[in-house]
Amino acid sequence: MNVQQIFDHLIIRGPFAAPHAVLYFPLRVACVRSVCRSDAAGSSNMSASICHPALSSICRIKCNINGIYRVISFSGRVRSSSVLSTSAVSAERETAGKGARVQRRSKRPAGEPRTERMSVSQDWTAVYPIAASFKPSAVPLPVRMGYPVKRGVPPEKKGNLELLKIPNFLHLTPVAIKQHCQALKQFCTEWPSALDSDDKCMKLFPIQTRSKEFVSAGPSLRNPDARIVTLKVKLSSLNLDDHARKKMIKLCGERYAKDTDTLTITTDSCPLRKQNYDYAMYLLTVLYHESWKTEAWEAEKTRADTEEYEWEDSPSQKNVLATLVRMRPLGARDEEEEGGVREEVLGQPEVQEYRDTLVKMKNEGETEDNVQKYKEAVKKLLNI
Amino acid sequence: MASSCTQALRHHVCKSSRLFHINTQKSNRNLTLSSAAHQQPAVSASEIAVPKKKTWSKEALLQALASTVNRDPSASHYRFQDDPFLTPRTAGEYKLFSLSQESGRNAAKYFIDKFPKYFQKDYAEPHIPCLMPESHELQIEESSEAALIERIQLRKVRAAADLYDQLLQAGTSVSLDVTNQLLDLICFYGDHDPVQDAPEQRAEETVVQDESQSKKGRPHKPSDLPRAVWKEKNNAERIFALLSEPNTRSYSALIRGMVKYGAYSKAFSTYTDLLNNRLTADVHIFNALITAAPEVQEKYNEKWELILDLLKQMAEQKIRPNLLTLNAVLKALRRCGALGKSQAFPVISEMKALAIEPSLASYNHVLCIFYKAGAPIQGQSDVLQEVMNEVSGKSFRSQDPDDALFFITAMRICLDTKDMEQAYRVHELLGVGDNWRLLGEVFQQNIYYARFFSLLCMMENIDVVLKWYRDQIPSVYYPNSNVMRDLLQALDTDNRLDLIPQIWKDIEQLGHGNRQNLVEEVLTLMAREKQSQEVQESFAQCALDVKKMYETGDRGKVTLSWTASSLSDVISILLAAQRRLEAWDMLKLFKTNNRVPSEELLNKFLTCIKESGDVNQAVELLQIAAGFCLPEMSKLIQRVQQEFQLSEQQMSILSDLELQTYNSD
Repeated sequence: MNVQQIFDHLIIRGPFAAPHAVLYFPLRVACVRSVCRSDAAGSSNMSASICHPALSSICRIKCNINGIYRVISFSGRVRSSSVLSTSAVSAERETAGKGARVQRRSKRPAGEPRTERMSVSQDWTAVYPIAASFKPSAVPLPVRMGYPVKRGVPPEKKGNLELLKIPNFLHLTPVAIKQHCQALKQFCTEWPSALDSDDKCMKLFPIQTRSKEFVSAGPSLRNPDARIVTLKVKLSSLNLDDHARKKMIKLCGERYAKDTDTLTITTDSCPLRKQNYDYAMYLLTVLYHESWKTEAWEAEKTRADTEEYEWEDSPSQKNVLATLVRMRPLGARDEEEEGGVREEVLGQPEVQEYRDTLVKMKNEGETEDNVQKYKEAVKKLLNI
Repeated sequence: MASSCTQALRHHVCKSSRLFHINTQKSNRNLTLSSAAHQQPAVSASEIAVPKKKTWSKEALLQALASTVNRDPSASHYRFQDDPFLTPRTAGEYKLFSLSQESGRNAAKYFIDKFPKYFQKDYAEPHIPCLMPESHELQIEESSEAALIERIQLRKVRAAADLYDQLLQAGTSVSLDVTNQLLDLICFYGDHDPVQDAPEQRAEETVVQDESQSKKGRPHKPSDLPRAVWKEKNNAERIFALLSEPNTRSYSALIRGMVKYGAYSKAFSTYTDLLNNRLTADVHIFNALITAAPEVQEKYNEKWELILDLLKQMAEQKIRPNLLTLNAVLKALRRCGALGKSQAFPVISEMKALAIEPSLASYNHVLCIFYKAGAPIQGQSDVLQEVMNEVSGKSFRSQDPDDALFFITAMRICLDTKDMEQAYRVHELLGVGDNWRLLGEVFQQNIYYARFFSLLCMMENIDVVLKWYRDQIPSVYYPNSNVMRDLLQALDTDNRLDLIPQIWKDIEQLGHGNRQNLVEEVLTLMAREKQSQEVQESFAQCALDVKKMYETGDRGKVTLSWTASSLSDVISILLAAQRRLEAWDMLKLFKTNNRVPSEELLNKFLTCIKESGDVNQAVELLQIAAGFCLPEMSKLIQRVQQEFQLSEQQMSILSDLELQTYNSD
């Protein structure tokens, strides 16, 4: 029995009595191919699985055995041939029982598919109004899918399980979507005309909350994921000073995305969406007020605790100052006061540049570009 | 397999139809006020008018989406499997498939109700009550008023009446309200236990029954079923008599029951009772009495006077009539002869003055008053036009059982008056809103479409007919053989016989391939005229299909028998398409079926043979013809002798034949 015959079987039996071996067609091509070539044994498994859907799990195991069978057959001929004979006998029995049934059913011939009656200018949205599995008699396209037999073409659409398995979007044509949008327009409110750009939206409505609605064709309307609320806000839109901002970022941890400057709070601990929304707003309020507070222990913050490198009073600054002062001619050193020198030295453009590159390198890491710039700045500073 | 498929599909649906909802919320003023002031936006928050949230009903979204879907003319009813093997192809199959589906559902429901303990798990969220098992068993055993109420709710007529008696014997008093409920129940079912849910349908059908359509060959008439009648001294009357102070509702129940089950004069005497007890009637009593009025009086004017009298009493007792009153009056007017025509319009205008909007049933009654079924038409087509002007473009809902009769009545009148324009308007009305719901059951739908289609075949040119044909058949209507014959005639009048093979395919598909007269009509039409070569070829193919129908028949039963004309039609079609061999085989069928071919056919055959120049076959043909002892045999022999070049042997055969015919003469 070749695969075409198997498909013929399927057509006679209708789309739902599917042999499992064919079901796993694309996934396990190698396995199926071995089934097909190992003639008798392979086909016997097919017909056995056609006969009873409840046997399907057994079939799958058998199928696997057959996949292995080719491997085994090199080592032990005797063992594999015994497997072959038993399954062949069972196959004969099954086909004998089925012949009569097929004959009896063939009294009512299948009518012509309704694609024959479809006009070219028909309204497609009426044919496929909702999501439905592929109906070969309703789709006037010469679709083919599946494993091609003997270097032929893939099987045609009639009775083709491959086409049933995959999701289709025949109901979501652009025309259908347009019609749906038109029908749903009455439920939408008008967009405020003053909010004509994204910038304005961000400025006037900085907090975004997001939740999901689920639609499914099942007995239950509820979906547990519908309770989850995600709140997003840009930190720049909150009224924060430097301390508060840094504290906020510390408090938020991974919820803060540095590249977009966005704080994201996701709440799913409460059973209802309303509760989760309230909780998210509460968290934001608490975070805001907490970051404005300065606790007593915050004074104990040392240089090691700072979030970023600070130039002022850093060892580098001191060293630069000392070096540059030492580099000055001796006479000039005595004439001027200590403070004035410091101001003057640090105010030099070379020193400014050195500072910028150093801060950049410390904060962003030692990239090639940063190190190169640092080198240039040092050279300029030391007049080398 | 199937389950895994649906599982996957459901998953897909869930994924793909996920709607993302982004709400931009107006932020907490506390947090943003300073930043807003700081950044100086072009518009302040107060200038933006945030629109109010819209609310709508639970089904509104689905209804809006459903409104985008139109009917698919190539598909069958959605309740069937969309598969060429499983869609019904004939009216019989349609009925069988729908009923089996429904009976399967009923069986499932029965088992769920019978074994409720196995069906307690509630999968649905939110809860769907109709999916859960319903209890039809009595829960309360002891005799009490609660038990009586339970029996009334479960519609156990006999048990409720028995329990009522028990209660009275035990000396327990039953409240008037519960007694009235019991009376309602008994009167509604005419003192019989309802058989499951069937009696309700039967009650509806009895209303339909006096409509003229139901007389025309309905497979099983509701009137065949034993119809319940109001029995003397039944439970309702007995219980009513036991009441010490019956109120209006008790009277109402009793009178309506009497009218429903045909005790008309008794209903009127009960009404007199009610007046004697100084009670006022209610609108239902009057509706029932008006319905009964034509039954108790003989003459037309007496009937009408009785109705008028009832209406006046209504006005005296200050009871507002409702739509059903109007419909009852109009229905009664249908039985008042010529009075109906003069009184119908005043009644309607009177009701309109009382702000009663007529329903389709009212219009149906008006149409029936003016257009009697089977009566000659006397130029009153304007009434239908007026009615159509009134109802066009309106969406109706079901308010009266007779609403479902409007469309078939209107279409009947269109067919009688051959008014295509009004027929289109009626059909258009059917498409407005939910009006299609008022077309009635399948049987009535078939009548409606048959009438519409016959009218189309009669009045329109073939292109328009075919447009409707493709649109409606077989997705909404499975035509009967008469309608198909109408279609064939329409093809004939517009000279589009080339479409016959196509139509034949449909005829076969619709299961009319075993109708002798229809098949013969098809053959006659194909054989009648000479067509172009291409068409002849398709005709020949079609004729062979028809022949197959004669041989195998429908479902193994041969129901067709060859007649001389059908045989000669097939042969001449085949000859016209130059299929001599098949025609020759057909010729042999004359012998086996004991039919005699005409001389004309044999001549035609000879002409055909001559074209190919097969002398042997010509001689053979003559031999066969001789077997039939045709009177014109000698002419045929002469013709063969003249037109063919015969060998010696053939000459001798011919002379033998000539001798034979001569002898027989």
